Amino acid sequence: MHEPIIKGNMISIPSSLEYLTNIDDFIEGILRGFEVEESTIADIAISVSELVNNSVSHGNKSDDGKTVSVSIAKKGNDIEIKIEDQGQGFDPRAISNPLDEENLLKDTGRGIFIVNALMDKVDVQTTKDGTITTITKSIV
Amino acid sequence: MKLTDREENGVIILEPNGKIMGGPDASLLHDKLYEFIDQDKKKVVVDLSGVDWMNSTGLGILISSYTTLRNNGGKLKLANVTEKIRSLLVITKLEPVFESYDTIADAVKSFDE
Repeated sequence: MHEPIIKGNMISIPSSLEYLTNIDDFIEGILRGFEVEESTIADIAISVSELVNNSVSHGNKSDDGKTVSVSIAKKGNDIEIKIEDQGQGFDPRAISNPLDEENLLKDTGRGIFIVNALMDKVDVQTTKDGTITTITKSIV
Repeated sequence: MKLTDREENGVIILEPNGKIMGGPDASLLHDKLYEFIDQDKKKVVVDLSGVDWMNSTGLGILISSYTTLRNNGGKLKLANVTEKIRSLLVITKLEPVFESYDTIADAVKSFDE
């Protein structure tokens, strides 16, 4: 298992939730450098934390020999973030609706729903090597 | 996340601080809650003024704390819900689940009503 590695606008962590704060510090630092307003920084940070949680726990199944990488770029008026893991992705249609009466008081199952609500665009691509989730948020 | 607690008029006030995003500190609040339930202290206010933001793990902690207390004959209420957290409660339709108050004093007082 290695420590978090930072190269330019990308950070890579072993698949352990103990590194969530490393990812958050990294992402929020770069967003402040881009002069993104604090409320939008929080929306993006929440979304990244949800997706990294998913990548660590479900994608890589907490195998700390596998890594999760997060890269961030400013493209015009958009912030684009890619979260990559070495798992086999997920089917958004297989996730039950957290707003349904029977799910309302469950303590899990809201992550992807929240990401979809906070971000302008969410794209998931799965290949034989892993899954790349790309989220986009306008900053104007 | 850091967590402090205090007692006021028989009501436990839990004060998480920072961001609630999961990881090693995810069970802090729930573990603390069980300590108080074991001591038969079941009136709880969670003061959210020091929480920058939370994700679905944080919401899950609030929900499980709420249901744990309710199932043990107690009650969990919220105080000082920030705009960011309130918007998450609204989009997840959890806002009506929690009694929330603008101040800790109002939340504590509500247990007498």
